[in-house]
Amino acid sequence: MFHLSYIAQELRRRLGRTILTALGLALGVGLVIGIIGVSQGLHDAQASVLAPLQSVGTDILVTRVAGAQPTDGSSTTSTTAPDQANGGGGRGFFRNGGGGGNGGLNQQDTQALLSENQNVVTDLAKLGNPGDQFTRDFFLSATLLSFPDDAVKQIQSVPGVTSATGGLVQLAEHETGTVPQIVASIQTGGETFTQTVRPDPMTDAERPAFQQCLAAKGVQIGGNNQSGATNGTTGGTGGTGGTGSTPPADGGGGGGFGGGGFGRAARNPAFEDCLPQRFQQFQAQFTTPLRTIQQVVNPPSTDIKNESYTAAGVDPANPTTGLVTKDQLTSGSWLAKDATDQILVNVAYADKKSLTVGSKIPINGTDYNVVGLVRPTLTGSTADVYFPLPVLQNLAGKQNRVTQVLVKAKDAKSVDAVAAKIKDLLPGAEVVTTKALADQVTGSLADASKLADRLGGVLAVIVLLAAFVIAMLLTLSSVAKRVREIGTLRAIGWSKRRVVGQLLGETLTIGLIGGLVGLGFGALVAVGVHQFSPSLSATSTGVPGLAGSRLSGLFGQATSAVHTTTVTLSAPLHPSTLVLGVLIALLGGLLAGIVGGWRAARLAPAVALRDLG
Amino acid sequence: MTDALVTDADAGAAPEPDATGPLYELENVRRVYRTGGGEVRALDGIDLRIARGEMLAIEGPSGSGKSTLLQLLGALDRPTSGSLLFNGRDVGRMSERDLTALRSRDVGFVFQAFNLIPTLTAAENVEVAMVPNAPDRAARRARSTELLGRVGLGGRADHLPSRLSGGEQQRVAIARALANDPRVILADEPTGNLDSTTADEVVSALRALSEEGVTVILVTHDREIASRAARRVRLRDGHIDSDESVATIRSLFAPPPPSPSP
Repeated sequence: MFHLSYIAQELRRRLGRTILTALGLALGVGLVIGIIGVSQGLHDAQASVLAPLQSVGTDILVTRVAGAQPTDGSSTTSTTAPDQANGGGGRGFFRNGGGGGNGGLNQQDTQALLSENQNVVTDLAKLGNPGDQFTRDFFLSATLLSFPDDAVKQIQSVPGVTSATGGLVQLAEHETGTVPQIVASIQTGGETFTQTVRPDPMTDAERPAFQQCLAAKGVQIGGNNQSGATNGTTGGTGGTGGTGSTPPADGGGGGGFGGGGFGRAARNPAFEDCLPQRFQQFQAQFTTPLRTIQQVVNPPSTDIKNESYTAAGVDPANPTTGLVTKDQLTSGSWLAKDATDQILVNVAYADKKSLTVGSKIPINGTDYNVVGLVRPTLTGSTADVYFPLPVLQNLAGKQNRVTQVLVKAKDAKSVDAVAAKIKDLLPGAEVVTTKALADQVTGSLADASKLADRLGGVLAVIVLLAAFVIAMLLTLSSVAKRVREIGTLRAIGWSKRRVVGQLLGETLTIGLIGGLVGLGFGALVAVGVHQFSPSLSATSTGVPGLAGSRLSGLFGQATSAVHTTTVTLSAPLHPSTLVLGVLIALLGGLLAGIVGGWRAARLAPAVALRDLG
Repeated sequence: MTDALVTDADAGAAPEPDATGPLYELENVRRVYRTGGGEVRALDGIDLRIARGEMLAIEGPSGSGKSTLLQLLGALDRPTSGSLLFNGRDVGRMSERDLTALRSRDVGFVFQAFNLIPTLTAAENVEVAMVPNAPDRAARRARSTELLGRVGLGGRADHLPSRLSGGEQQRVAIARALANDPRVILADEPTGNLDSTTADEVVSALRALSEEGVTVILVTHDREIASRAARRVRLRDGHIDSDESVATIRSLFAPPPPSPSP
């Protein structure tokens, strides 16, 4: 073809324009390829992070979070998270439990919930005598409330549910130090008070009855009456003082009168009998009862150190579904059935604590053997230490209770329906699908993924558009410079089609060059990414609620419930991406050729005859 | 037309058979340009007959309509009214496509500014004109070599136009105009950019072609150049002012010029 050499000569002759146009397209293509590659890498990384979750087959995670917004009026799980955390409350729950009929959340539940948070009041005095050394692990539910085992069975009976497994996640506080003097005993009482009180004089109504009574008992009255009144006056003065130091409820004020006014006269029993009731109750002396008041004082600062970690209970008999599964085991072995002293440890936690398979961890008097290391899924309920469920239930004092239920649905389509049904069944429950959990994955991985998808996409489009526009403008300018040449070609018999074909050939060739150079740029990006292999972290709050617990704040410690997984980014280049890149560049060339050709086709051949000037 | 110019390269051109009668027949040809302000009558009733093998000069001041007439004769444009027959065919009724085909087969242009394609060598510039008619690359190359030899540029086939002098460039342009063995060579001020010596060479070359039987029409305002043509047509305001045969005049008043050497 004559075209080819003409094209080649033309491009060589106008090298600046060729290079500029091709470079613009190459940059656009390189950027697109790079962005697609990085985006692909990010998606691969995300998939690898999320894959374990899919393999677990958990579709729905059911938890109860204190302080969660009630879905409707009747399902107030709790509105007083701080109270519950302090063990003093659960009031919201009481109300709820009292209402009854809330999917098994009954009075029994309420009691259990109270007890599960009792552990929170860390009465360190119970650990020994003040001054003793102690080491103790406390297991707390934080704001994550637990279900009775029954809930698991209830969920199992929901149509569409293939399996439901219970799991228990606890925030553990490992404390060591000296038992502080926390409880002070204060003894009060035992004091004897003497007082005189001047009672009001006998009223006109009382006096005749009194005199009548005395008369009936044969007692003579005269000066004695006057003397009693005088004594009463003195006693009354003392009584006023006594009132302040003695609880008025004791009625001690009256005692003064009895002692002062009628002490001597009372020797005659007839006096006592005939006095009005209010005079009879007075006593001259009383002793306050001895009482010992136990007062919890603010914990004094001692050398107590605490570390927190998360503990989870899994069913050793069910290695395929649960908070961690056998798939996620990286070394060692799975928990033995009925094991009571075996635990699994998260790889990340094991690294931090230098634990290996075979290590022993003493917890509350028992040595637990690390039998395996696990790398649990990011979005699942990650924990640092995994106990057999019954063991953790005992340690935490939460017999037959679970904090979450892992549900597997029949198929992907029924997940939402099943989740809705579980919500109806357990109104206080937080029902999260794993898809939603996957969306919660945060950290640089998710950020980068978003960045690549949004900013990267926009950037690629802008650069491509710019490259296209530059290619078109340069072609138009080239056509303008070649008006005479094009007119000459038309005059000597070239058809419009042939002229447009020539221009298209030129711009497509530039597009092809740009595309190939762009592939090089894209490959450079991929190699660069590979070379630097930036680590991206993916963070998940894991168990909803636990991380944000006020309890963790209470101990001034960040909980390890926020789990971070680090993956290395790569930018794979798929053949389809490369083909796409070249096609994009060719599209740029085509557009430029169409614009230039359209302009050239409008030129009259007679322009060839025009004078130069 | 000489045998020397007829080669196998013309096989794809499928030339129209020669019609009887003159090459051009113009009757009352008008070309009116409509501009924003009104009409411009570039040509206003031209009657002209041009015989095959004639060498004709079209003269006239600027704006007389000589360029417009050249465009109509070269099938670059169509008359507004009147009839223009080329080789017996009415150019005014031909489609754009047919005009293009006609130009590629029957017309060779020589421009004032040479209009060579700057990125192509001399040989390639000649071959460009053959592209629509002769797809065979080897045939094109043979033809361009032959034609460049004929205009005395055999050793310069691979030179880019920028490496050639003005006269050499115009000779390449003449070779290009001859590439498709046309019925007519239209030269628009072919010597306008050349010094007098070179101009003389170019006119001599055109004259030689005419003597070989190719119709040569040249537009010029140079009386000296025009005087080299056998027939001079002078235009004024779109009309033919005069149409006279130089040979007659020359034979009466002047000795014949020295025979040109191509």
